[in-house]
Amino acid sequence: MLQAYFESLKYVGHLLPISFLRIFLGYFYLQQSIHDWKIHIVGNSVVSDLLVEALNKTQMPFWYRLFLTEHLMSHWTFYAFLLVGIQAIIGISYLVGYVVRPASILGFFLCLNYLAVSGLSQEYFFKLMIAAHILMAWVGAGRCLGLDYYFYKRYRGIWW
Amino acid sequence: MKHFLAFTSAVFLFLTVFYFYKDDSQILKDRASLKVYGSNSFVGSWGPGPKLKELFEKQTGLKITYLEMTDPTLLLQKISFDGDKAIADVVLSLDQYDLIKIGDKIKWENTYPTEIENIPDYLSHITAIKQFSAYDWAPLAFIVRKDFSVPIKNLNDLLKPELKNRIALQDPRTSSPGLIFINWVYSQFNSANEAEQFLKKLMIQAHSFSPSWSASYGLFKTQQVDVVLSYATSPLYQLVEEKNDQYTAIEFDNKHPLQVEFAGVPAVCKNCEGAKQFVKFLQSYEAQKIIMEKNYMFPIDRSAQEGTPFDHVKIFKILPYTVQSKENLQKQIDTWNELRNSEN
Repeated sequence: MLQAYFESLKYVGHLLPISFLRIFLGYFYLQQSIHDWKIHIVGNSVVSDLLVEALNKTQMPFWYRLFLTEHLMSHWTFYAFLLVGIQAIIGISYLVGYVVRPASILGFFLCLNYLAVSGLSQEYFFKLMIAAHILMAWVGAGRCLGLDYYFYKRYRGIWW
Repeated sequence: MKHFLAFTSAVFLFLTVFYFYKDDSQILKDRASLKVYGSNSFVGSWGPGPKLKELFEKQTGLKITYLEMTDPTLLLQKISFDGDKAIADVVLSLDQYDLIKIGDKIKWENTYPTEIENIPDYLSHITAIKQFSAYDWAPLAFIVRKDFSVPIKNLNDLLKPELKNRIALQDPRTSSPGLIFINWVYSQFNSANEAEQFLKKLMIQAHSFSPSWSASYGLFKTQQVDVVLSYATSPLYQLVEEKNDQYTAIEFDNKHPLQVEFAGVPAVCKNCEGAKQFVKFLQSYEAQKIIMEKNYMFPIDRSAQEGTPFDHVKIFKILPYTVQSKENLQKQIDTWNELRNSEN
């Protein structure tokens, strides 16, 4: 597996710059999940800044606002755990280059959700992140400097 | 796909195990520390926060954890949503206008009364405030370079044709100095109508109304504008930190407005006694000196500035600290908003 990891440089070396972006994004998500774990799970149910900002947003579908106020806020610990888990999945996946395509789809939906709740100041950031996730899925960024190359060689298919 | 599902399950399984076996003693230790919210300029490594933390921890044995606050309004809303589960023992960096606009969003504990003898006269009202303790203040003034030749002595001088597009101001909706400025304008004219006429002309005259003080000061430092609304202590900062003596604050014939910064203890505090001790500590001589030297604001305790460069900063004629009504302040912001929209 380790041999395949470096062998990928020889056969799909043109993806190397994107692999660096993938590794950076992985580091970012992993760091974010550790940060959120400390605040929301260990710190116990502190509603996130993003959620407070969301409730101040004037343009939001009524059903989504209802979901935020009536469901998400009252079950915040559960959703915080879920969010930390998703961030950790994306982080580890991007860092080691394993199951990058499905993880990037997860990342896409996560950012779409953040885009719906974030204020104007963060809108461009999340749009950029969505573009990055699409790029990761499109090129199969885990195939270069990633474990996906090992599995792709053996199993083929669209998920690697 | 089954690889992905297995991977996802493994991550969640790991997190679940980690959740049940997390080190509770560490959490309890963490909860015992004081959670202090403050602006980036206060709690950041370049601000007074780290030194104050060191000193307070040494004096009391209580641990402090700083949490950065980007916007006081959002923070108070968050505390309000969290209710009893909120983690906030002290909130810093609230100015007198924040207290009016958002102070009633949550309940506050009474802090220890201010017992400083050397409070400047124009700040004497702050001792009557029970729920918040002031820890620094500074007058606002227009800052120029020393070679600037257009004489400015009052607000009307800002409308001189030669100053067109050379003044940087702040947006009162997002910036405290901006709000202080429009409040100052209203206090200096005989009627609200006159003040509004002045603001209307200023909309065309000013180079920009930046969303924050730092953005407008950046325009000034990069020489995109020649006049900026800032603190009267800004030239001292330039002199001490950047060894640049080319900046000066303009003294107006009118009295200058001031900004006072306060600390408060939310009623949902976990370590209320420790929090009150910390707020009291901010008014101690040592803490006042640290705040002055790092925040470049005047100390509430005047004796802390004796023998320091702050002693040589000329104190202009100052408008005394007064309490505004929330409705009045909102009306001023709304009017500014209308004027701005009609300009655009």
